[in-house]
Amino acid sequence: MSDIEKFFEQIISHIPISILVFDSSLKVVYVNENFLEKTRLKRGQVMGKQAEDIFPPVLLKYSQIPDLLRWTFREGHAVPGREMIYRSPGIPYRVYYYSLNPLKGEKGIEHVMLLMEDITEQTRLREEVRKTERHLASVVESANDIVVSMDPYGIITTWNTAGEKITELSAQELIGRHITSLCATGEDENLRQALISTTEAGKVKNIEVKIKTKRGKEIPVAWNFSSMRDGGSKLVGLAAIGRDLTETKQLQGQLIQSAKLASLGVLAGGIAHELRNPLGITSAAAQLFLERPDDPEFLKECAQRIYTGIQRASEIIEGLLKFARHSPGQHEPTDINKILEETLTLIGKQLTTQQITVHRDLYPSLPLIKADGKLLNQVFLNIIINASNAMPKGGHLWIKTELEQRHMTAALKIVVKDNGVGIPKEHIDKIFDPFFSTMPVGKGTGLGLSICYGIVKEHGGEIKVESTEGEGSTFTILLPVTKRI
Amino acid sequence: MKEREFVTLVVDDEVDMCWALERILQGEGFETHSAYNAEDALNMLNKKAPQLVFLDVKLPDMDGIELARLIKTSNPAMPVILISGYYYNDDPTIQKGLEEGLSIGFISKPFKINEIRHYIHRLFPKKSLSK
Repeated sequence: MSDIEKFFEQIISHIPISILVFDSSLKVVYVNENFLEKTRLKRGQVMGKQAEDIFPPVLLKYSQIPDLLRWTFREGHAVPGREMIYRSPGIPYRVYYYSLNPLKGEKGIEHVMLLMEDITEQTRLREEVRKTERHLASVVESANDIVVSMDPYGIITTWNTAGEKITELSAQELIGRHITSLCATGEDENLRQALISTTEAGKVKNIEVKIKTKRGKEIPVAWNFSSMRDGGSKLVGLAAIGRDLTETKQLQGQLIQSAKLASLGVLAGGIAHELRNPLGITSAAAQLFLERPDDPEFLKECAQRIYTGIQRASEIIEGLLKFARHSPGQHEPTDINKILEETLTLIGKQLTTQQITVHRDLYPSLPLIKADGKLLNQVFLNIIINASNAMPKGGHLWIKTELEQRHMTAALKIVVKDNGVGIPKEHIDKIFDPFFSTMPVGKGTGLGLSICYGIVKEHGGEIKVESTEGEGSTFTILLPVTKRI
Repeated sequence: MKEREFVTLVVDDEVDMCWALERILQGEGFETHSAYNAEDALNMLNKKAPQLVFLDVKLPDMDGIELARLIKTSNPAMPVILISGYYYNDDPTIQKGLEEGLSIGFISKPFKINEIRHYIHRLFPKKSLSK
């Protein structure tokens, strides 16, 4: 062997690919070290042998190497890459990527070279990736929430089963459509804004946008958007998870109702007392009337008192009924000062009886806001009832409204302050939690403030509390002022 | 009947309630005065020197029971009749007031005129005879 031949032999025997060369009688005329190492065969077990003698029968059966060899000799074309699983007793299982390549000589195809590349490791990795993918896909598919991916412009690219169930639209119908086309009437602008914010800020959390199902039903959905970026932080798509709020809303409605019943109980007690005054006056006036039927001037005086008393009693009952009957509904342009006045009418007498002095400081030209006035009435009532409970020996209640201008937006600020017992430090973080109550069992449901929190949040607002034990508490509610009413 | 012989004071934050009680008492021949809060009531007590006080238990500036206690401190013999739209007769607050002798009776709203008259006739038998 010349130096150069030796050099090539060295290269070929160290190349990490198994090489077998067959002659036209389909016998091996060359085998490299790599093949012998992998198969743990001796050179003598390979050289001059046919494929049938070298490879395990099972492998021969499905790879049909002998047939492919013959085909390559006959046709003169290479057999492109295929996969083979090599299992043989005593050696670890391997996966090869193999190809057959004709080697042309003077008399046409004299030899065919079998190249076998060990891809066991790559296959294992690929399998792992697949497994992860399948797992992720099953997570997405078995989720109860809508999981959707979009291109950077909001065109839907995938849509999961839960999404299909909620919208009654198949993924096929949805893919290629813009996400906003799913919105209920008048809601698409909110979603469009969310898409823009997502591309700018990367994330949009918990925005509520109603969607319309195939059959035209509107469904409230809470959406969380995030952007997907590649390694170079280029925006490649958007992802969103949407939670169907129908049930949550129903539950919230029931909670609001039960909290309302609880405050109704408090109110009813107060109102029973409150009714006894006009009833007392009316009854006394009527009795006087009956005793002195011959004094027309006096009769007139009595009748006037009877009438006023009845009117007052009716107003008290009407206020209670108005509060009891209302079912939460549409947000309408609302004057918050007026709502506060209504609340104070409901509870005012009770406060007076408890020797609580109410100080009003209502901002005169408060803009109207889109709100459910009756729900807010419930919020104010609850906070005021709590304040009155904090002042068992009487005290002062300050109610203030003001307009707070922020850089771009405006908000109404409603402050309810008392000089009652205050809230202990260890309780202050929990007071908006449902069922948190310091009242004895049977006295309070602990739902009041959690409902207030829910109602205020639903109005896009905030509710905060500050308190010093022994000095009193201050509840602050901020409600956003929207331009369009 | 001599003037100033029988004077009553009605204390209630409800103007019309004061009106009704005054009319009833005037019908019985009393001179009547009304106060709508505790502060007024204490002033009237000094100025008008009533012999009987009808007192609402819930007043805007002070608890009626507390006011009764104040009245009793300066005028131990003054008969006070508690009246309320808030409590009933069996309420512990009222029972305690009666037991402590702060009040000789309790009337719950709405009431019968005769309940008022019953107390008057018990306190002023001569008065009822003269009628």
